[in-house]
Amino acid sequence: MKNPIFDSLLVLLFVGFASDAGAQQFMTREGHVHFFSSTPIEDIEADNRQMSGLLDALTGEFAFQVQMRAFHFEKALMEEHFNESYVESEAFPKATFTGRIVSWERIPNDGQRHDVVAEGEFDIHGVTQPQRIEGTVQWMDGAWKLKANFEATLADHNIVIPTVVKDNISPVIAIDVEAQLLPR
Amino acid sequence: MKRLNRWLVGLVWIGTSAMHAQGLLDELNAVTEAPTLPVRATFKDTRIVNVQSNETPAEGVLHFVIAHRFGTLSSGAYDLWGLDNAQMRMAFDYGITDGLAVGVARNTYQKTYEANVKARLLRQKTGPEAFPLSVTWYSVAMANGSRVAPEETPYPFTRRLSYVHQAVVARKMSERWSLALVPSFVHRNFVQESGEAHDLALLGVGGRCKLAPRFSVNGEYHHFLTQSFGDAFSPSLSLGVDIETGGHVFQLHITNARGMFERSFLAEPAGSWANGDLYFGFNLSRVFTVKS
Repeated sequence: MKNPIFDSLLVLLFVGFASDAGAQQFMTREGHVHFFSSTPIEDIEADNRQMSGLLDALTGEFAFQVQMRAFHFEKALMEEHFNESYVESEAFPKATFTGRIVSWERIPNDGQRHDVVAEGEFDIHGVTQPQRIEGTVQWMDGAWKLKANFEATLADHNIVIPTVVKDNISPVIAIDVEAQLLPR
Repeated sequence: MKRLNRWLVGLVWIGTSAMHAQGLLDELNAVTEAPTLPVRATFKDTRIVNVQSNETPAEGVLHFVIAHRFGTLSSGAYDLWGLDNAQMRMAFDYGITDGLAVGVARNTYQKTYEANVKARLLRQKTGPEAFPLSVTWYSVAMANGSRVAPEETPYPFTRRLSYVHQAVVARKMSERWSLALVPSFVHRNFVQESGEAHDLALLGVGGRCKLAPRFSVNGEYHHFLTQSFGDAFSPSLSLGVDIETGGHVFQLHITNARGMFERSFLAEPAGSWANGDLYFGFNLSRVFTVKS
């Protein structure tokens, strides 16, 4: 008995499984994000060691996210202003980066560090922008180690710096990311 | 039919590859719990208008406040609606830890000195171990430093003292609204009139509405649970705005209480809203990170 609808459902199911069943996922809950704003008047930096991330080792696709409120600054007031006035973390609690490591299938798990390019969507303050990030990946001790640094322009993400503190906050923020993803 | 099948399969393929990164993010959300985080910035400053908010200076931070209350608005153009008659309060609060602060202050009004301690007992939190409220304790001892003529009633140091103890029960309801309930207990070692109560209990309510990231409207009201005597004082009612600029917070307000220390604005507010005895004033705070 041939039922075309049943057939297509079967194929659909198969396709759904095929893309996930073979995929080995790697994960972290304690990736490190550090950002730095430098101006002649003031340097501002913050750390977040609670970045979570998933990497699909079959396709090189990934998703990372951080809770904005888990960034720690040197001064309490900086932390308050960061959350209250700049990233508005109540309304936009997370920043995410989703995408794919380019030519992932060509990267050997040989223990060496390899330069890679990741392309994806960077979402912070509720504004998503395409972002291209250069970094390195390394297969070590059964885990993927990822490192990258990139720059984000505040204005691209609709983060407004008022005139009175224009000299204290850089319009372009340097971001460093480091994570070790273990098999799930 | 076969053609339709292929077309459907193709559609599914395209769909899955485009949605996959988003799928990873959904998967990530499903397996990661949001961390438990303390609620910050329930109020912009350590005071709502006159009364303490639940906020304390952070560890190692010196919080310096200059506050003024001018004369009555009803005093007219000659006194520039009270601006010629300023009362001043100067205060230093220091955060020993993130939840414990000590402070000293000096007021023009009755040349009053203050020593205070403020301790966070409970903190509002979000996440898996959420907690709905912040509770902060505030105790202050005040000493009247005015000289008295020798022929007047003896006025030894102990008589100059008064104390206020408060619990600030606060909740950040939303990004916009914060509310506080502030029960206060006032003890005065010496009262001006015979028959006046030495001990008073009040229940205060305060709140803010944050209209912009650096701007909020604040108000507070303190209801007498016990009366001093008769109805000599109308309850303290204040309305104002907070404006934040970098390391400063400007609080501008109108209040019927001219004194800026607790005994004065809780137990002895100078004016009444009904009579228009209102004072314009401001608190200007600045934080200095002394120890990082």
